[in-house]
Formats: sequence, structure tokens, C-alpha cells
Amino acid sequence: MDKFWVVFKNEYSQVVQKKSFIVGILLTPILMGSFILLPSYFARKTASNTEYLAVVDQSASKIGEGFVSSLEQYKLEDDQTQQYIVDTLITIHRGDTAEYNRIIDSLKTALNNDEIKYIMIFKSGVEMADSNMLLISNAEGIRTVNRFEKEISKIASTLRLENSNVNLSVDSVLALTRRVTLPQQDAKGESVDFGTKWFASMMFVMVIYFIIIGYGQVIMRSVIEEKSSRIMEVLVSSVTPFQLMLGKILGLGGATLTQLFIWIALGLLVYAGSGALAMNIDPAVAHVAFNPLVLVFFALFLIFGYIMFSTLFALVGSLVNSDKEAQNYIFPVTMLLVLPFIIGISIIQEPNSNMARYMSMIPLFTPTLMMMRVIFIAPSATHYSFFSGILGEATLAFILLVLTTLLIIWVSARIFRVGILMYGKRPTLAEIVKWVRY
Amino acid sequence: MYLVLENIRKTYDTKVAVESLSLSVPKGVLYGIIGPNGAGKTTTIRMIMNIIAPDSGQVIFDGKPVDKTFVDRVGYLPEERGLYKKMTLREVILYMAELKGCKPAAAKGRIMPWLERMGLEAYVDKKVEELSKGMAQKLQFVTTILHEPEIIILDELFSGLDPLNVELMKNVLLEQKRAGKTILFSTHVMEQAEKLCDFICMISRGKKVLDGKIGDIKAKFGKNAIQVEIEGDGSFIRSLPGVSAVTDYNNYHELRLAANANPHSILKQIIERVTVRRFELVEPSLYDIFIDIAKVDPSEVEKPKEAANG
Repeated sequence: MDKFWVVFKNEYSQVVQKKSFIVGILLTPILMGSFILLPSYFARKTASNTEYLAVVDQSASKIGEGFVSSLEQYKLEDDQTQQYIVDTLITIHRGDTAEYNRIIDSLKTALNNDEIKYIMIFKSGVEMADSNMLLISNAEGIRTVNRFEKEISKIASTLRLENSNVNLSVDSVLALTRRVTLPQQDAKGESVDFGTKWFASMMFVMVIYFIIIGYGQVIMRSVIEEKSSRIMEVLVSSVTPFQLMLGKILGLGGATLTQLFIWIALGLLVYAGSGALAMNIDPAVAHVAFNPLVLVFFALFLIFGYIMFSTLFALVGSLVNSDKEAQNYIFPVTMLLVLPFIIGISIIQEPNSNMARYMSMIPLFTPTLMMMRVIFIAPSATHYSFFSGILGEATLAFILLVLTTLLIIWVSARIFRVGILMYGKRPTLAEIVKWVRY
Repeated sequence: MYLVLENIRKTYDTKVAVESLSLSVPKGVLYGIIGPNGAGKTTTIRMIMNIIAPDSGQVIFDGKPVDKTFVDRVGYLPEERGLYKKMTLREVILYMAELKGCKPAAAKGRIMPWLERMGLEAYVDKKVEELSKGMAQKLQFVTTILHEPEIIILDELFSGLDPLNVELMKNVLLEQKRAGKTILFSTHVMEQAEKLCDFICMISRGKKVLDGKIGDIKAKFGKNAIQVEIEGDGSFIRSLPGVSAVTDYNNYHELRLAANANPHSILKQIIERVTVRRFELVEPSLYDIFIDIAKVDPSEVEKPKEAANG
């Protein structure tokens, strides 16, 4: 056991001393923050460039003019300049097909030369069928398309109203037919929307994912280094392969925990600071993220998920001779980590479905999928039991995770023991199975 | 006996690497395992170190089969060298010593004296990757013996070292021996073993061909060789009566004599043909004995060179 601590201490101090560790501590929260904030920042930001468009109007009711004037409300970020400038508004008589084709062709040339971005074509009867209009573009913006749809809808509705017996303005009709939004509340009386839960689950699961994949590869590389530099021979004549493997995994794990503690401390500092600045954290976020069950299972799933996967990464390291060779072996391990994100999409839609239950019980997926479910279900539950409900399921999944981790360590240690002294050729699957049995 | 190998055998697939090898290493001696490349020296040492398990046979150290306690009592320098490139010399030495069960406080005090001995003291806080190959080898030697093991096992210690460093290593080994340590080392350069060892074991193609005290071995094979240094073409020597074999060392010839041959008459016949600068009756070198006993093709074995390593 003494030797285990020697390896542990060395791995820990080698990582913690590194400049990259300190840089990582500071940089990761900044990167995470930018991941969260930048997209919404860009989404909110108004366009900065004027876009030119051509409108071709074949309709009798002069929809084109109405459409063009409705676009005047959209301004660039300076609130002065028009975002959409109508380069040409062409009115053609319905029957003149030759003229129509000639104009469309020339507009398409202009489109391909980037002189205009959109060609909007109205035929007669836009209010009757959507097929009576067409938007042509090589690079349409989703926001622009939504705006056009909104404005054209208004115009079409006005036309439909004019043709009907209803004597009301468009705006009052829209107000009368407004869709409802269903207010939600959980059993505890908190109103936590789906978005908040989704956001929180992504945050927690991403932290688990990045720590596992980041440090897992560090362990793998360090095993490969010891193999390729032949230090391994001295190591295995001093410690048992099992002590070596576990010392490496837990030593690095200790470094990871140190990093997490520093982040939590930094987070608390920021939290305290923001309190002083009277910037309150969204109560819905606090309700989900600061739930004790969420935090406890986060710690458990992170630690055991890390141990389980870094054992697999150490195993890969012991089977190969170079980083390059490792890429082939690493693929299945990475897939095991990425797969839950794909499955996760359906799980968060129906966190209590049978499929969600079974999938999150598979130990390899537990750290990510069960974490998602805990975040989605636990904060709102009013009754907790170790034998049923989310607490029972998460506890069972945790026990399975621990057992599987021990099994993986046992199997890996047996392969590791032989693999670390194999140079040159890569072992076949049959050989690996033999090593486990031997 | 301190370290005993009992009929150890190791095969790789169908190739026999070591065939029922037995040897006994007394305490406090310098013991050399010699043999050409591929003879099974490294495999034998790896089995002693328990890095690979023998197919059959066992290794006994200090009266007991080797177990976990053995690893802390031995210092091992593998044939293929390597250390953590990104660690400093101090860190590497300390880590390796602690892995061998040495207390950090004790290890720390020994670092500087050893580095000074090896001429590496200026590098103590530099990274291993900054060292030259020869320096790295000396550093690895330091990591091998810093925990003051009772038995030191060195696989091809001298390979890649310049003559000055070979001399340095030899002196350190002799000191260690005087301090009561047992040293087992392998080499394919027989001259080194001849100059340094008390005991040797010759292996060829995985089998032991000869072992024992070096003096006894030489005495057994008698003074049946002549070294002669001549001016001119010595090709006729081979056909002289009483000469069974000739090794041409460029600067001199070494003659193996047939039984009952008369050195005096051989000298007379040579003087008649060429000028003789030196004529000496010598013990046969280990190289010659090896070629003779192992019945191997001389081209398989590294020939000793004039003025080779120290």
C-alpha cells in the first residue's frame, strides 16, 4: 500500500505543478462561460449589415407594396439605417410569362453576383395558397425568413378578412385568436421551466464529460510514455501493476478534485460578490442546481464515472505503443461517452419513461444519463425514498456503477499487467481474453 | 548461496529463449553473465526480476523464493533505458528511490553526493530531457543504486558509455562490492567481464555452457595460448605444426596450441620467416574459451578489440 501512495503522490504533484494545470483552472470557467453566453449574445445582437432584396409582384392586390413598406420597421443596430433595402420592386402583368422569365433570370444573376440577397415573388392569391409565393436566396437567414413570414401573414390575413364577412381589424383578430401558454409549477410550488432544467443538466453533465475525457487521455498518454520510454520495466520491478494503475488513476483524480474545489471556491466567491452587488441568481436555477440530491449525486457520479473511464483509458494505454495507435482503440471508449448525449435528448423529453429508466441504469451511461434524470426529477419531488422514485433509482444505479467499476478495474489490471510489457506488436482480442483468464 | 536459479526455462511461442538454466551467485561478488547478443541474458535477468515468469524452475534469493520483499532489496538497471523526460533529476531520483521503499529524508541526502560523483551536480534541477544520452545513462545508474540495495542487477551496463565513463562505473562497482554488495551484470563484451568479474556464467543460445570462478576457468583451460607480435605477413602461422587455431587481432596474433605442442619450436619457425617483436605465453581469453566451448561460429560473437573500452 505504501507504494501506491508513492505513485499517487508523484502523479498528483506532477500534474498540480504544471503550468497547464493553473492555466486550466483559470481558463476553463472562462471558456465554459463563453460557451453559455456567446451564442445568446450573438443571437440577441441585431444585424450589422444592410441586405438588399428584389420584389417581383404579379398579384392584382399589390401585395408587394404592402410587404415593402412593412419592412421599414426593421433597423440595424444603430437604430437609424434600414436593414432591408428593396433594390427593385417590379410589377408584372400576370399573363406575361416571357417577361416574367426574363426578369427572374436577370435577378438570379444579380443574386449570384451578391448584388442582392433575396428575391421575393408574389403571384395572385397569396391569401389563398402558400404556393402562390416564393423566396429565392442562396444564404437565407432564419430570422429574416421568420420576419417575412410574419409580415406576409399579416397581409394575407388582412386580405382574407376583407374577403369575409367579419368586420374587424387584423390586430383585433390576432388578439382574439392568441395561443395560450400553459403556466407550470412543480409539486413544491416552484415554477421551473424546461429550459432551466435543460440548461442545468447540460452544465453538470458537461463537467462530468470534460473531466472524464480530459483526464482519461492524460492517464492514457502517461501510460504510453512509460511504455515507450521503457520506464515501465523499472516500475514493474518496484511496484505491482495494480498499485501502479490505481496510483495513477487516483493521483490524477486527486488533482481533478483539487481543480473542482478551486472552481467551487471561486464560484462561491463570485456568488458572494454578486450578492453584495445585489445581482440575484435566478431562483429557478438555484432551485435546480443547489438541490442537495443533485449535488450529492453529481459528486458520486463524477468520482466513480471518472474512475471507471480512466481505468478504460489506462487499459487502452497499456495495449498500444504510441498516441497514434491509441486512436483506434480510443474510439469505442469515446463512443461510450458520446452516446448518452444522443440518448439524452429523448430522456430529457420523457425523464420517467421506461426507456429512460433502463438506459440510465446501464453503468457505463449512469454518470451522464442518471445525472440528467436526477436534475430533471429530483428538485421537484416532495417525497424521497431509497426504495422507490428517483432517489431509489439513482441509488441503485450508483451501486451498479460501483460494482461495475470494481469489475472493470479487476479485468483491466489483469490485461494491464501483461500489456505494459508488450512492445512492438499490438495484441489480438484473443490474446487479451487469454490474459484476463491467466 | 545468495541468489540461485534452479532450472529456469522460458519459451516464446516455439523459440526457446532460456533452457533449464541453473546458476548460483555467492554473496558479495561481482558476477558476470556473458554471451553473444540473443543468447538469453536479458530474458534470464527479467526472470530474476520477476518481470516475466519462467515456464518452469524457480529463483531463490537469500534462501527463499523471490517474493514482493525482493523488489526493495534489489537495484535493477534494464537493458532498455528510459526515465521521465519532463521531471527534474532530483524528482526522478527521489521518485525511483521511494518506489524502492527508501524514506524520502534518507534519499534526499544521497542525491547530491551521487550526482557529484557522476559529474551531474549542475543538472540537479534541470529536466531529464536536457541530458545527453551518456548523462542519462549515468543518472539511471544513480536511480538504480540510490536506495542502497543489497544486490545490484545490471543489464548491459556499459553499452553506450565512453571509456572514461566505463572506468567510472567500474570503480563504483568495485566500491559497491567492497561495501559487501552483490553485483550481477550481463555483457556481450567479454573483455569487460574478464577484467571485472569474480565469477562468470557463459550462456549461448539459451543454454549455460560454462560457469565458475574466473581464475578456475582460466586455470582449467591452461596456458595453451601464445600471443605473438610480428613484422610482415603472418598468414603462414596458421599452417605451422602444433597450432590449432589463430585469431588475427591486426596488431598481434593469438595462437591456440594443440595438445603436446612445443611453444619453443613454434617460436623458432616464426623467427625464421619474420621479425618477432613480442612472444608471450598467455592464458586464453574468455573469448577464446567461449568460442572453443560453445562451439559457435566466431562471427556470432563480438571479438575483443585492441584498446577497446578501458
